[in-house]
Amino acid sequence: MKITRLVILLLVCSTPWCAFGQAPGTQLPDAPNRETVQRLCSACHPAQIVVGRGMTREQWGSIVSNMISRGAKGSNEEFAQVVDYLAQNLPPVKGDPVPVTKAKAPRPQGLLDQAGSNDKQVVDEDAAALGKTLYTAQCITCHGTRARGSERGPDLVRSLTVLHDRYGSVLGPLLTKDHPNAKSFTLTSAEIVNLSHFLHQEVNNTLRTGPFNNVLNILVGDPREGKAYFNGPGKCNQCHSTTGDLAHIASKYDPPVLQLKVVFPQTAAFGRRSAVNASKPVTATVTTAAGESTTGVLEDIDDFNVSLRDKTGQYHSFQRGPGVKVEKHDPYAAHVALLDEYSDKDIHDVVAYLETFK
Amino acid sequence: MKYVFGIVLALLPLTGAAGADPASGLDPSVLTHPTADSWPTYNGDYSGRRFSSLTKINDQNVKSLSLAWMYQLSGATEGLGGRISATPLVVNGIMYFTVPDKVWAVDARTGRELWTYTWTSKGGIHLGNRGVGISGNSLFFETPDCNLVSLNLNDGKKKWNQAICDLDQLYYASVAPVVIKNHVITGVSGDDLDRPGYLEARDSETGKLQWHWSVVPKPGEPGAETWPNADAMEHGGGMTWISSTYDPELNMLFVGTGNPQPVIASKARAGSNLFTESIVALNADTGKLIWYFQPSPHDTHDWDAVQTPVLFDGEIDGKKHKLVAQASRNGWFFVLDRETGKNYVTSQFVKTNWAKGVDAKGQPVPNPAKEPQIAGALVSPNQGGAVNWPPPTFSPQTGLFYVNATRAFSIYYIFDDADKPEGWGGNDQGGWAESMLQALDYRTGAIKWSHRWETPGIRGGLLSTAGNLVFAGDPNSNLVALNAATGEVLWHANLGKPVTNGAITYELDARQYLVVGAGDKLFAFVMNQ
Repeated sequence: MKITRLVILLLVCSTPWCAFGQAPGTQLPDAPNRETVQRLCSACHPAQIVVGRGMTREQWGSIVSNMISRGAKGSNEEFAQVVDYLAQNLPPVKGDPVPVTKAKAPRPQGLLDQAGSNDKQVVDEDAAALGKTLYTAQCITCHGTRARGSERGPDLVRSLTVLHDRYGSVLGPLLTKDHPNAKSFTLTSAEIVNLSHFLHQEVNNTLRTGPFNNVLNILVGDPREGKAYFNGPGKCNQCHSTTGDLAHIASKYDPPVLQLKVVFPQTAAFGRRSAVNASKPVTATVTTAAGESTTGVLEDIDDFNVSLRDKTGQYHSFQRGPGVKVEKHDPYAAHVALLDEYSDKDIHDVVAYLETFK
Repeated sequence: MKYVFGIVLALLPLTGAAGADPASGLDPSVLTHPTADSWPTYNGDYSGRRFSSLTKINDQNVKSLSLAWMYQLSGATEGLGGRISATPLVVNGIMYFTVPDKVWAVDARTGRELWTYTWTSKGGIHLGNRGVGISGNSLFFETPDCNLVSLNLNDGKKKWNQAICDLDQLYYASVAPVVIKNHVITGVSGDDLDRPGYLEARDSETGKLQWHWSVVPKPGEPGAETWPNADAMEHGGGMTWISSTYDPELNMLFVGTGNPQPVIASKARAGSNLFTESIVALNADTGKLIWYFQPSPHDTHDWDAVQTPVLFDGEIDGKKHKLVAQASRNGWFFVLDRETGKNYVTSQFVKTNWAKGVDAKGQPVPNPAKEPQIAGALVSPNQGGAVNWPPPTFSPQTGLFYVNATRAFSIYYIFDDADKPEGWGGNDQGGWAESMLQALDYRTGAIKWSHRWETPGIRGGLLSTAGNLVFAGDPNSNLVALNAATGEVLWHANLGKPVTNGAITYELDARQYLVVGAGDKLFAFVMNQ
């Protein structure tokens, strides 16, 4: 049951190692590569967490792959040593169930998903997970932790063999015949298909539509200097207060979102409608040639016409021309002015400062 | 205005010259001197100026311009691929245009549909298609699934198709081919997985490859010294997204090349990454490189330098020169000698914040602090650029280069901090933008006039005419005519959707037509008589 819990936690955790950090075991078995395991794994969690668990080489490979994709740092050789150590010293315990992986809900398809051929391989997530295990056990040493190659083996993400492959059609003959180590492989056709799914998944992961295109740690600023900028040259305190509108701001937004809100608060959605969608819309006062003034939320404006919605919800449209005066009021004008003023350090410092208000 | 007379109008369409015999399609030799009743290439002629010598529509009467016809695309077309981003070609009174996988022939006087052709696609990104090339009785277009297709001009029946790129490598094709003699010049698109860009010439009768110019060098070749190793070069990008321009006298082809790859995270491609982000001159018969100039050395912001290299003759410091100018996506304007590549003018056409200076060659020097950062770097322009693919125009009458520009900011992030990032490895987020039509004095790059639009957004390309007019789209769906010399707004029509191509003009039966695409519709305007 331990493994089941471990695997489920791995699948649902959004924070690396959140599953592991809570149940340290005793000591790691004394065996070759123990030091490597200690060093690589304890960078994020107590290495002893593995003690008492037992898995096959493939299953350990899968766990290590997961950790690599979650940011574990090490060389290909070191990761191979980790898998070796875990497989040899922590084999399966009788009665432990086989881990089950769940397919993710498909992401809505966009224009960029059209890249490639209509008959491109559709990655089976379960098969890819099995392929990943195989890859970690047998291929990672030469082709690298992310299949991007090393001094010992070519990059497989950019490989024409992989790009032209469909469900093992090109990969199969290569692995069973042309690969330098073909003679030592004992791959079944199902395993080749799994490997193919894994490699195509790695290709997809590399694309800009892939799942790893996320902002990393942006909290590099100095909160004290951020405070000084907030109350000084940034003049943020002229409109905002960390005990008023910005109280607990750090609990509302992750740092990357907070940073975007600081720099581009008006951008609910980028585009010309953003002014209307923003929480504080741009307003305007239109004064006609006859001297009548109307004030409201700016709906649309170009060189020729302007339209407003007043506070009662009534829509007004005016033709622009001589004698018709339009005054725009942009509540975010001060933020726009800052775009030409502040440095990246100022921005990072202010974000670091605001992040202290949990 | 003295300098105007110094400008040699070598490539000016010859008003009133006889059109080609309808039975023989389009004689390729006519392309060096297009007739007033035609718009026979993507840019109207080889120069890329998008300037017409027609004057029946002019600054005095443009207020009376009215709708002649409107054509709505037949058949379901959805999304970005369903907008007309093609510049229509007009030959012998018939107009030809595309959306991805589809070609139309309509009567240029009435908009009446003559034929359509649909290509059965095997895939590729259906982002947009820029249109067709025509020679003799053949029409050429590229498909998202990497084919160059030749159709019979008269009935739209397919003659042949040739693969010009590999879908499995995530290339696709979207460029309007340019026909020069018997060469069909094709470009490739695709910014997904670190592939090399290239330009090819194919035989106009058979589609057979005549020459292939690789944007990125191989080890030992010129430019290789600007890459760290062979692997980085082989995966270095540089797509050829936009139609080339051509000087028949020099027999030189002028090509803008796209961004290097990996696009954002550049750790494994130290160097200036030639010949990505460059304006290059190639021999049109051999594809051999003659000179290059690099607007964005070591680009990390997806700022393809593919914007039309516009050819015109003019005076610099009192001397006549053959010039080529580009308003580049990175916000900078360049004027070069088109025989040698020597730089005469380097200036910003909108304020930017990414360069720390200009080198001895006239190329901006990127500021490393404004490369994408893990914690984010505030950069202007944004990824969309100070200008994107929509074409600019140059009027030899005013000596002004017009660009429908954007000043925008966004935050550029590194997502992949590995030593060997691949693909994009980062992107930009958020944004603020303003947009304006800029009129630049080509001799200095100085902004002669600027018309700020009230909002930012999509607004298509430009056309200038000898009627002292510039036609531009604004972000609010208006087609706007401005006085070319002063920027005064003279006329507009709201088309319901923003302009999605560059307007064209032609004269038939002594009536000057103005045609523009907006979304899934083409609008043709004429002067009431």
